[in-house]
Amino acid sequence: MKLIEGNIDKNYIVESIDGGCMAKDRLWKLGIIPGVVIKIKRRAPLKGPLMLEVNGSDVVIGRGIASRINIKEIE
Amino acid sequence: MKTIALVGQPNCGKSTLFNQLAGYKSLSANFPGATVEYTKGQTYIGEEIAEVIDLPGTYSLSWYDDAEKETVRALFSEHIDVIVNILDASTLVRSIELTIELMSLEKPLVVALNMMDEAVRKGIYINAKKLEDILGVKVVPIVAKKGKGIKDLLEAIKTAKKPLKRCVYSKEVEKYINKLKECIEKNGLSGEWPPKLMAIKAIEGFEPCMEPLENSTCKASLNEARYALRDGLVIVQERHALCMDIFEKVAVVKKKEKKSLETILDSILLHSLFGYISMFLIFFSIFYAVFHGGVPIENLIIGIFDKIDASLTSALAHNKLILAIIRGVVDGVGAAFGIAFPYLLPFLFLISLLEDVGYLPRIGFLLDSTMHKMGLHGTSIIPFVSGYGCSVPAIMTTRILKSRKEKIISAFLASLVPCSARTTVIMGLVGYFIGYGYAILLYGINIIVIMISGMILKKLLPGISPEMALDIPPYRLPTIKTLLLKTWHKVKDFIFLAVPMLIAGSVVLTLITYYNLDGIINGVFKPFMALIGLPSSIAVVLIFGILKKELTLLMLYQALGLSSLSQIPKVLTHEQMFVFTIFVIFYIPCIATMAAIKKEVGLKATIYITAGTFVLATVLALIFKVLLYSVWI
Repeated sequence: MKLIEGNIDKNYIVESIDGGCMAKDRLWKLGIIPGVVIKIKRRAPLKGPLMLEVNGSDVVIGRGIASRINIKEIE
Repeated sequence: MKTIALVGQPNCGKSTLFNQLAGYKSLSANFPGATVEYTKGQTYIGEEIAEVIDLPGTYSLSWYDDAEKETVRALFSEHIDVIVNILDASTLVRSIELTIELMSLEKPLVVALNMMDEAVRKGIYINAKKLEDILGVKVVPIVAKKGKGIKDLLEAIKTAKKPLKRCVYSKEVEKYINKLKECIEKNGLSGEWPPKLMAIKAIEGFEPCMEPLENSTCKASLNEARYALRDGLVIVQERHALCMDIFEKVAVVKKKEKKSLETILDSILLHSLFGYISMFLIFFSIFYAVFHGGVPIENLIIGIFDKIDASLTSALAHNKLILAIIRGVVDGVGAAFGIAFPYLLPFLFLISLLEDVGYLPRIGFLLDSTMHKMGLHGTSIIPFVSGYGCSVPAIMTTRILKSRKEKIISAFLASLVPCSARTTVIMGLVGYFIGYGYAILLYGINIIVIMISGMILKKLLPGISPEMALDIPPYRLPTIKTLLLKTWHKVKDFIFLAVPMLIAGSVVLTLITYYNLDGIINGVFKPFMALIGLPSSIAVVLIFGILKKELTLLMLYQALGLSSLSQIPKVLTHEQMFVFTIFVIFYIPCIATMAAIKKEVGLKATIYITAGTFVLATVLALIFKVLLYSVWI
């Protein structure tokens, strides 16, 4: 599933980042790397960005980017 | 003299450390070969004076925006003797990634482990000595905000050595990296990059490193490496694992049970409803405080300069030309101080407070979707907010934006935000004579026009609009010293760029009056003024508003041949005042702003922006003229 479809306050594992994502390098730098556990903290209203918790820090990413990140639910 | 560069990820407390080291004597300066300004200062290391450079924050050595790019280019240059890498101890894993990259530059390096107190609050306890042993680089724990550990850091800088170790990836990965590195070295393709770093970045898919290899013999090794290492993902994962490993070895984490203040604050300030209400209240209080507090101070300053003016007039009455020029200089300085001290200084102070507390990126989160409709994203909120103080520093903040499209749109729209000079017209003319409700209406109209212009520009301009991807710092309480220094740096931008323009404008203005050229100017613009329904004698006011918007209101009654402001309603109708103010808000930015725009986006874009604002102002003046004459009050 895509990150954009994830639920708030749930933990997910990043599976992959789709090709052609301009911000891929930036995402890596922010710690959004395949294999890492992230938590969706909140969404801004009106199709706004998502706030994630990555390695104990808060990271904000736009929806377009979030729809290019594949995640897996943690059982 | 030794040159020391401070490098760190955004929000690591770099500028705070800089202020501790070189605060008062710092100045903005161009770094050799670069176009971006850095803050530069001097400090004593023992007996020796050293130069300290505060480089813009960067997550890594592969840049994402122009500010980061300049940091990387500065690091490659020969001029830097010691690199001080500031780490935020509370986000250690991510911070070490930059350290590992910096180690590959093979320059004397010292790690300043900052925010140790904040890490402890998060339940992270770090053993600095252990970190030093693992990295092979001197690590000094500091709390920059409180000035703790600065002495030790200076001592470490004095004896800084090149890193002992280098990041080593697994055998399989190193094989591909080295193969490419050797090829780059053999063909002399690395340019200013260290060959190994260039190889790694190229494999990771960083364009500026891939491009030189595009048509070279190394292309095959690059493709092979990218295929085998899954477009660099393997390297990234290994490096991340290494950082996690280092973290686990040097840090002990004790989970805190208590719900932190930050979670509570965020649950209100980032709430889908209360977040926007709080945002409105916060900004309303800032504007209210600045403008209500500023008026008496402005009157005081203007009063002083009026007295100087009067005594000059009597002293130099025999030589009118010299009097005209000197008065121009005095008026220019007076206008600059009349705006800078009462409005700009407190406003920039409060904006710095919002910035340092960590609120601005949170507004970016709340307003991101609105900004997207204008081809921008949340980060661009900063130039807009600063624009209410003065357009010059506002335009300068567009530097943190990534794409050219975004910069041009932000510069254009930020110049439309009424600065404190234009606010005096809104409040002094429309607010005072027609009613404060109408003044607020003008602010509303302004925001709507900015949004619509943004939507149109988004469609018109080529290029993609990148999205937000940044970390949100925790709430922090900045020290007064840091805030004051930060405010001072911003006010300095205004003083060095805007004040000379204001003085020059003022001199030209008095000369024109001296030679009675205003009649000719008014004659030329008569048809245009008639079009927007204003008396032709106002044309000269509008022309000089371009030089200096502070003078608009003052010149208005003089140009209309009145002896004081209070007589304006005798000559201008309410409709004319409203249309005039609309025009003044939107038309051509002042010269100082144009200079700032040119610096950020180039001459061509500046000409388009300037022409655009003029067309926009004319169209709006026409619309409101027609609207008001058919349905006025």
